[in-house]
Amino acid sequence: MDDLLAARALMGVSLAFHIVYATIGIGLPLLLMLAEGLALKTGDEEWHEVARRWIRPAAVLFAIGAVSGTILSFELGLLWPKFMVFAGPMIGLAFSMEGFAFFTEAIFLALYSYGEQRLSRRAQFFCTVPMVVASAISAVFVISANGWMNTPSGFRMVNGVASDIHPLVAFANQAWPHQAVHGTFAAYVATGFAMAGFYAADLLRGRKTTQVKKALTLSLAVGTLALPLMLMSGDWAAEALAEHQKAKLAAAEAHFKTMAAAPLVIGGWPDPETGTVRYAIKIPKLLSYLANGDANSVVQGLDAFPLGSTPDPRIVHPFFDLMVGSSFVMAAAAAWFWWLRWREKEVTLKRGALILVLIAAPFGMIALESGWMVTEFGRQPWIIQGYLRTSEAVTPNGGLLLIFATFLMVYLALSVGILRLLLRPQGRGEEGEEGEEVLHG
Amino acid sequence: MADPVILAAIVLVAGLLMYALFAGADFGGGIWTALAFGPRAREQREALFNAIGPVWETNHVWLIFVIVTLFTAFPAGFGNLFVVLMTPLVLALVGINFRGAAFAFRHFGRESKKETPVSARVFEIASVLTPFTLGLAVSATAAGRIVIAGHMPTEHVSAWLNPFTLLGGVVGMAICAYLAPVYMTVRVTGSLQEDFRKESLIAGLALGILTSLMIPLAHYQAPLFAERLFNSWPMLFVMLAILTGVITESLLWLRRYFWAQLMAGATIVFTMAGFIAALNPDILIGQLTLRAAAAPHTTLVAFLAVLPIGALILVPSLVYLYWTFRGEPSTDMPPAGKGGGQGAPPP
Repeated sequence: MDDLLAARALMGVSLAFHIVYATIGIGLPLLLMLAEGLALKTGDEEWHEVARRWIRPAAVLFAIGAVSGTILSFELGLLWPKFMVFAGPMIGLAFSMEGFAFFTEAIFLALYSYGEQRLSRRAQFFCTVPMVVASAISAVFVISANGWMNTPSGFRMVNGVASDIHPLVAFANQAWPHQAVHGTFAAYVATGFAMAGFYAADLLRGRKTTQVKKALTLSLAVGTLALPLMLMSGDWAAEALAEHQKAKLAAAEAHFKTMAAAPLVIGGWPDPETGTVRYAIKIPKLLSYLANGDANSVVQGLDAFPLGSTPDPRIVHPFFDLMVGSSFVMAAAAAWFWWLRWREKEVTLKRGALILVLIAAPFGMIALESGWMVTEFGRQPWIIQGYLRTSEAVTPNGGLLLIFATFLMVYLALSVGILRLLLRPQGRGEEGEEGEEVLHG
Repeated sequence: MADPVILAAIVLVAGLLMYALFAGADFGGGIWTALAFGPRAREQREALFNAIGPVWETNHVWLIFVIVTLFTAFPAGFGNLFVVLMTPLVLALVGINFRGAAFAFRHFGRESKKETPVSARVFEIASVLTPFTLGLAVSATAAGRIVIAGHMPTEHVSAWLNPFTLLGGVVGMAICAYLAPVYMTVRVTGSLQEDFRKESLIAGLALGILTSLMIPLAHYQAPLFAERLFNSWPMLFVMLAILTGVITESLLWLRRYFWAQLMAGATIVFTMAGFIAALNPDILIGQLTLRAAAAPHTTLVAFLAVLPIGALILVPSLVYLYWTFRGEPSTDMPPAGKGGGQGAPPP
């Protein structure tokens, strides 16, 4: 593994790891706010109990999110100093604004989670509101930086140097709106379904309390309501790609040859040698229709770009399919659950439906991770589309493999720690006692 | 209108000072958890641990603020520093990571009554490692061993590992070890308060001796830095640091804890201000000026325009946070639902 690959691998692993926690950091505050709001509105204390139980794992997950976010901010300089020297003046503003939002979230999270004895219930509820707003805003802001890498704007190149810089134009780059909206809804979907899965597992294990039912209903409701919004924004994103990031769209759709009335390619294995996709399902004219709203329009393929300047469809296309496919799994699970919920006038206890919710639980996160892979691999070989190649941006320092290995160990240790904490029966009622035998001090 | 480069530099320095003060006390909590002594060592650890709980994450965000300000306002400085200081920064990062995780795990473990000694040890080791490596990295910018030849330098061990930076790392630890017990004196009472008073006095003395050693060492190891420190107004900060340090020790002796805490903060501010003033006008002494490292005018103006809006939200929120958790740290283990949380069966 050479230094460039080690740097890319480290950045990729770090982001993949961070995204999980960042996503929960966006989704969970919304659930907390809704539960606390319901407790205040209905006077039903159980909603408050539901919320307080979320805070426990949330505190750990937020903490890991904060430290893994710090790793990322350092890695920008440790791995990609040349990129940052170029891009800092343009995307720094997005990070600064995100920083304020994240700061606000951290403050109110601390107030909410530690303030049970010191704050009134109303004040606790009001602490969740800035958490929701700040976490959504921080996602929207930081995504601007990624959007700028995809559709750089707000500067002019004069003799190889960026000049005439307008940070606000860079901030409001073309890819930002659709990426920000799509990404934020995806975070709500991912958190909602993941949480619902935990509670479905509880019901399946026979823990049929009203609290569990309430928590399942609320988290699945958030996931379900965000799902169509995520799909709609995904469609918007695809249209925007067709206009501004044609190579990425072509790679995602495994669309090799520029043609009119282009088919939509589902599944299969792209073969760049022959420019074909083996074992794929092809739906005539659908790609042209989805991209341009006209079934007979021309869609540029990978052949429309110079050799060596386009992403590899063998990586991008499968992740794209995985992302799209995930939403169908979630939609099916949600549909069945709510149908039974409506028919039985009660949270269903049917094993089949609960198992389906459990199966669908990780797919929000899978969709989010694979969507991010599409965005990132879909931009290669560029770190700043059309301006700076990833290979030119990497640090001149050697020994990156060692650093990659070090952080891989760090992430493994963190993951093992988190899993041990979250998945072991955490003193759930009766099960708790047996766990206490391993108590130390 | 003032020069945006200077204003941005002030923002950077302010962020660094906030990080040193707040996270410093926080890391110091970890250091004294490791060093706790006497018959009430366990109570000391508990009190430190409980005091850090609600605020550590917020304290930690100041570092992100510093990093983001650095790459937004001084991108060339950021690029160069992160290339030449790769190793100490990676080590600091590993420390930050393990510390945060260990703290969270330990907290979570205590709530579910499954505390592991591993996470406690990791927390302590990381609390020592991080300020040491950060102190090392910061003092390397003043040591004058880093040479930027060409566009991007590569890392050289001697640039960041030499007697001056090693002592800088130890000073970094001493700053933290000094702030934490002083911070605790106003938060506990009785014999525990006496313990923290004793620790504060010792740490103050240690910090004084170490920073005094730094000055003659700088003369031999970091001559440009020493020259700037001695021959002009940065010396004023050194004097103020000595003065406030002595006042702090006296106040601690007299058990005037509230004022001692403020003076301790001032000591750190003046110590760091002296260091930074001697660095001025460079970000990397003798190699890269702040002005050369600065982002274009439009970026600086946009960045400075956003700041007050951010501050308008942040400052009241921070005040609310520290005000809510003022006084004696809670011993009850938040965050938990009524009835002791998940573990307890419904009444």
